[in-house]
Amino acid sequence: MGRVDIAIIGNGPGGVSAALTAKARNQEILLFGSAKASEKVSKAHAVRNYPGLPDIAGEDFANAFANHLKVMGIELTQEQVTNIYAMGNYYAIQTPNNMYEATSVILATGMAQGKSIAGEEEYLGKGVSYCATCDAFFYKDKPVAVLGYNDEAKAEAEFLATTSSHVYYIPMVKGDVTFTAENVTVLKERPQEILGADGKTVGLQTEQSKLDVDGVFILRDAVSPATLVPGLKVENEHVVVNLQMETNLPGCFACGDIVGRPYQYIKAAGQGNVAALSAVEYNRLKKQA
Amino acid sequence: MVKEVQNNDLAEALAADLAIIDFNAVWCGPCKMLGPVLEEVSEEKVDTGFYGVDVDENPDLAQQFKVTNIPTLVAVKNGEVVGKQVGFLPKPALVEWIESCK
Repeated sequence: MGRVDIAIIGNGPGGVSAALTAKARNQEILLFGSAKASEKVSKAHAVRNYPGLPDIAGEDFANAFANHLKVMGIELTQEQVTNIYAMGNYYAIQTPNNMYEATSVILATGMAQGKSIAGEEEYLGKGVSYCATCDAFFYKDKPVAVLGYNDEAKAEAEFLATTSSHVYYIPMVKGDVTFTAENVTVLKERPQEILGADGKTVGLQTEQSKLDVDGVFILRDAVSPATLVPGLKVENEHVVVNLQMETNLPGCFACGDIVGRPYQYIKAAGQGNVAALSAVEYNRLKKQA
Repeated sequence: MVKEVQNNDLAEALAADLAIIDFNAVWCGPCKMLGPVLEEVSEEKVDTGFYGVDVDENPDLAQQFKVTNIPTLVAVKNGEVVGKQVGFLPKPALVEWIESCK
């Protein structure tokens, strides 16, 4: 696949609105999202302040979004975006199995649930990792802990078990998880703090116990914006934007909950529209240059 | 140009006024993205030495510099570590980081 004009990450009201506007402006787009995101919309209480749609139920809203995308011929790419790299002239969008390229990017991922854990930022790169396949190498024959926030985390833990001496798997979501590998222990405990000494990770304190581990792999569903897009300016968990929805990275725009309160559908949709128009203008100038 | 380090031999980098050492591996996605950005920066910053360390080929160096994630950039000034940066960085941020290590 060649380079598209705009990649839009997220299919809530902000992302959908951005996609519709970009498509109407003849942009070649990629819309990344998941059925789960529309689930989130469908579970919402009735929305009462969206002009023209009095008292619309969340489920009807989600269906209307999906239908509108269909009418406009926009397909949803159902892959989880794990990283976005600002390469200078374009953006590289990484998913578990593919790499895409886009001239500009619109972030509309909403707010990540799940808070960071004490010590997480301090020990990032010193025992804390977000990528098992990248960093398993450094924990060969050493004990590690995995905080699993999604189904993919289980596969990553299995991979770690092939190189590390022992894997403590702490499921952060409900449901049962079992492993065939003998060196994996599933612990239904609540992590509290990453423990360090001499500038590196030495353990994980949970409410119930203290685990002696050299590495802690935190495998979340939604990563924080700064982790998703290295170099992106973030303040108080929100992406910093101006009124044109421009971030500090040229060609990268953001809209909706990810840029701050209020968390409202109509605000997200409006910002999505602005972000798309800004991206169109950015692409136009880029092509002229 | 980013010079590829071989046989765990960092003597040249340690003797430089300022050297940026990029710890990477062929199987690491983010490393592949950082590579060309670093190469571009190295063409502009001729007063700084740039070195690439494949951690598979040079395991001793990874251990010596306590590298536990890749990509990791280590800044070495006259043989002393003055900065460490984990993960991908876009070019302007990378240039800023190198300047801050001077």
